[in-house]
Parts: sequence; C-alpha cells; structure tokens
Amino acid sequence: MKKNIIILGGGQAGIYAAREIRKNDTESNIKILGEENLLPYERPPLSKDFLLDKKNEQDLYFHSSEVLKNENIDFENILITKVDFEHKKLFSKNEDVYTYDTLLISTGSDNKRLSLDNNLNDDVYYLRNLEEAKTIKEKVLNKNKITIIGGGFIGLEIASSLSQLQKKVTVIEISNQLMGRIIPKQIADLVQSTHIDHGNKIILNKQIDKITKKNDNFEILLNDNSLIETDFVIAGIGSTPSVKLFENTNLKLDNGIVTNQFCETSIKNVYAAGDVSNFYHPLYERNMRLESYQHAQNHGICAGKNIAGVKTEYTSIPWMWSDQFNLNLQLTGICDEYDEIIERGNDINKGVIYFFLKNNKIRGACGVGIIGKVGRDIRITSKLTEKDTIVDKQILSDQNLKLNKLIQK
Amino acid sequence: MSEKNWIEVGSTDSIEEEDLIRFDHQDKTFCVYKLTDGFYATDGICTHEAVHLEDGLVMDDEIECPMHQGIFNIKSGEALSPPACEDLKTYPVKVDNDKIFIKID
Ligand SMILES: Cc1cc2nc3c(=O)[nH]c(=O)nc-3n(C[C@H](O)[C@H](O)[C@H](O)COP(=O)(O)OP(=O)(O)OC[C@H]3O[C@@H](n4cnc5c(N)ncnc54)[C@H](O)[C@@H]3O)c2cc1C
Ligand code: FES
Repeated sequence: MKKNIIILGGGQAGIYAAREIRKNDTESNIKILGEENLLPYERPPLSKDFLLDKKNEQDLYFHSSEVLKNENIDFENILITKVDFEHKKLFSKNEDVYTYDTLLISTGSDNKRLSLDNNLNDDVYYLRNLEEAKTIKEKVLNKNKITIIGGGFIGLEIASSLSQLQKKVTVIEISNQLMGRIIPKQIADLVQSTHIDHGNKIILNKQIDKITKKNDNFEILLNDNSLIETDFVIAGIGSTPSVKLFENTNLKLDNGIVTNQFCETSIKNVYAAGDVSNFYHPLYERNMRLESYQHAQNHGICAGKNIAGVKTEYTSIPWMWSDQFNLNLQLTGICDEYDEIIERGNDINKGVIYFFLKNNKIRGACGVGIIGKVGRDIRITSKLTEKDTIVDKQILSDQNLKLNKLIQK
Repeated sequence: MSEKNWIEVGSTDSIEEEDLIRFDHQDKTFCVYKLTDGFYATDGICTHEAVHLEDGLVMDDEIECPMHQGIFNIKSGEALSPPACEDLKTYPVKVDNDKIFIKID
C-alpha cells in the first residue's frame, strides 16, 4: 500500500532509514525534513579532519543529490516547530503542514550549553554541525590561546586538532578524569599523557566560576581562584537528545524517545532512531541511548526495514571510536555491568584493552593505541559478545595470543 | 604479461589462512592475503583515511579496517561498508614454486 512516509531530521539515521525503506518499498512517498540546508553528512570529521583541512565539505556528504533523486527520496530544508500526533501532522514556523501515515523521528542530539550570566553567550562556541565547524575553523585562524571547557570526546578531539594547528590549548574538566567514567581511568590517563606530550594543558577537578571579557580576550576564573587568560573559548560539555518538540505530547520520553527493539515508539506508526532514541536492546535486556556513527547507521537501517514491513529486531553491538593525535580509541558493548576486568597489553604502541566480563562472558571492552592497533581485537570482541561466548581469560590477557582463536565457527 | 613486473613477496607458508601480511616495495605498500581459495593482493592503505590495513580483520573474503570498520572485498577491492566509500585497488597474484608474486603496474 502506498504511504506517505516522513523522516523528521536529515542526519545519518534519517538517510540510512530512507534508503532502506526504498529498498523494500518502491511505491511509498519518502520525504526527509531537515533543519540544516544540507544533504545528510558525516559529523565525525567536523572535530578532526575538517578542522585540519584534510577533508572539505564535499567529502562529508553520505550521498549525492543524484542518489536521492534516483531513489525518489525527497529532501526538504525546513525546521519543524510543532507536532500533532493525533492528526498525523507536522508544522513549520510558517504553518506549512506535512501529513504522514508513518513518521520516523531522527532529530539527533543538541549540545548542552553553559549557563553564563553576562552577555557572553555569543562568545562561547559549540560544535555539532557543519556551520559551527566552519565558524570555529575561521575564528581560530588568528587566535593563539584556546580554552576548551569539557574533557569529553568532542572537546578532546578539538583539542587535538587545534594543537596540530599550533594553538596553545587548555582543557578544563570538572571530574577527576577525561572522557567520563565509562572509560577506564587507565585509558583516560594514557590519552591525557598524549595530550600533555603534545603541549596541551589538562586541568582536572575544576569548575568555571566566571568568564570575563577583557577587550578581545577572556579571563576564566576557576573555583580554586586560579585565572586562565585565553583568546577563544569552546565548550563541549555533553549533549541531550533532541526532544523539545515532543515535550508536551503523549510520546513517551525518558532520556530520549523510548523505543522497543523494533524502533517503535509509544505511538502507533511513529518510529525513532539514532541519537534521539532510548532503545531496548534484547541482548543486554535493557534500554540504552547511544551517540555513535555506527549506531546511527545501523539503527536507521533497522527502522527503515520495520517501517517497510520487514520486522527486524535491533541487536547490533554498540561500537564507537575517537581519534586524537595518533591515537585511536574504541569502545564496544557496555562497560558498566561487570564482575571482572581483564587487561590486555600495557604499551600504547601495541594497544591496551580492558575487557569487562560478567559470568565469564564479555559485556564490553575499551581500548586505545596508536592508530590501527586495537581495532581488530575490539571487532573480535564485538563478535564474541554477540555470540555470548564463554571466553578463555588466558587468551584475553596475553597479547601474544591471537583473539580470533576464541571465535567458534 | 611482462615478467619484470612480477615481484616476489615471500613463501606461501609466510601467511596463515584467513590472514594477511604487509608487503612494502619501493615507495608502495600492499596487503597480501591467503584466503581459502588462494592468494590475493590489495593496496595497503585504507581509502578512507591513511591507516594501514595490515592490522585489519580478515573474515571470509573481506578485510575490515582497524580504524573505523570500513569493509572491502579482498578479491574485487569494492568498498562494502561506510565510512569507506572508495574502492581499494587490487593486484594480480601468482604462485610459482611455493613463492608468491604480485604484479605491480
Ligand atoms: C563533532 C562530532 C564528532 C563526532 N565524532 C564521532 C566519532 O568519532 N565516532 C563516532 O562513533 N561518533 C561520532 N559522533 C557522533 C555521530 O556523528 C552521531 O551519533 C550521529 O551523527 C547521530 O546521527 P543522527 O541521525 O541520530 O543525528 P544527526 O546526525 O545529528 O542528525 C539529526 C538532524 O536532525 C535535524 N533536526 C533536529 N530537529 C529538527 C527539526 N525540528 N526539524 C528539522 N530538522 C531537525 C538536525 O538539524 C540534524 O541535521 C560525532 C558527533 C559530532 C557532533
Ligand atoms: S581509516 Fe579505514 S575506515 Fe576509516
């Protein structure tokens, strides 16, 4: 049956869903509504190769407009400001109306903002989209001392890129380690040492009390009364699912849009995928929300299948990476439910991995190493987790023994 | 085919099955694979960003990049999974007297 399918949010999950629907349904109308006046593009390079000028705007697009045209997928640049689930309608600011039979919400996430008392809001920069990346890239050209508030993945990736552009970078982090508690402290410390070795200054356990503008520069007062003078401020203090639009509706929200393993929300014919969804994972038997490239892609594809009537459970093992300087960090599975931790390797040149086990099975792993050194083992770990394999701990802990021996064919 | 472009890589037992070795020649670098049905060769560097595929995972006929899990078909070089979207160059391989040779153009 021919349907009107609308995808709200033209990012990674949205485009993968659209193409998957088309693969399975040649009849229905598919329309993507996106606030950014750009075809769907990859965000990971924004904090890395785009800032470093190793990639330009054209390199970021997932697909050309030709591909969308050939597959009869419509993309409209519009910001949706109101939703009426009862009458299956979406509205723009100018009261343009879009009626759907099936809706996929893939609105991604928004950056958290600092609450600054004085008129500094325009002086602190954030990074989520291409526009913001362009602005940062242009503005830092004639700046020297850069302060980054927040030592999470995005803040550290920007710190790595700007350091490579010969800037003097200071990172201020409120907790006692970088990248949050989900990353083993030992790995956070290895990443921290690499930043310090490249000349970046890392300040832990400190909060911002006040930012004061002094002519073209800034003074940042920390809670221990120390002062940092800086030419430019960027904040990367985390993100929240993009759900503002749905707050006064009957769509079930809890740290994002709650979905089951089929990407279905609490409202019939309304699906959600990507960063915005807090989805049920049948292998872990719990809900989770992920902000990762691989998840946005696979979750979008899974939503697309379900929308097209091909009932498919989402069982993808979580995986994400971060690239900083010559390091590649990878995380697979979940690292917060374990009764045992096993360490593999202790030299960053060969790769260091921490495995998190429960009942002798791997639940998750986190590794870091010079680029290329942890990927294979992390990938094998994802496969072992997926197959719920009882693992030989001797092999896990001995870097001289290959992990693929553990995969049962 | 002219003989002079066939370069010796090493002996056939230098690669385990479903695995690969790195092979450097002049200023170029390659990966040489042993699959269940024979030997294959591709460029060594991932087409996504400049990381060597020598540490990647070989599964069936595919090589998976260790950095961002881009996947390539070893026999055709086709990029099968993002973020890799540009194909990997492949090279002819022959075995002569238990020695592997690849043909570099
Ligand atoms: C700087 C940066 C670096 C990253 N690096 C990595 C990395 O190294 N590795 C990794 O695994 N992941 C990384 N990620 C995460 C990854 O990019 C995201 O998880 C992924 O993009 C999520 O896809 P999505 O489709 O859910 O949301 P998005 O790609 O964010 O797309 C959502 C889209 O919806 C639009 N939208 C929202 N509300 C509306 C509305 N009301 N009307 C119309 N349109 C709307 C938004 O404008 C946006 O274009 C990074 C993210 C960022 C920002
Ligand atoms: S470098 Fe190979 S997939 Fe990115």
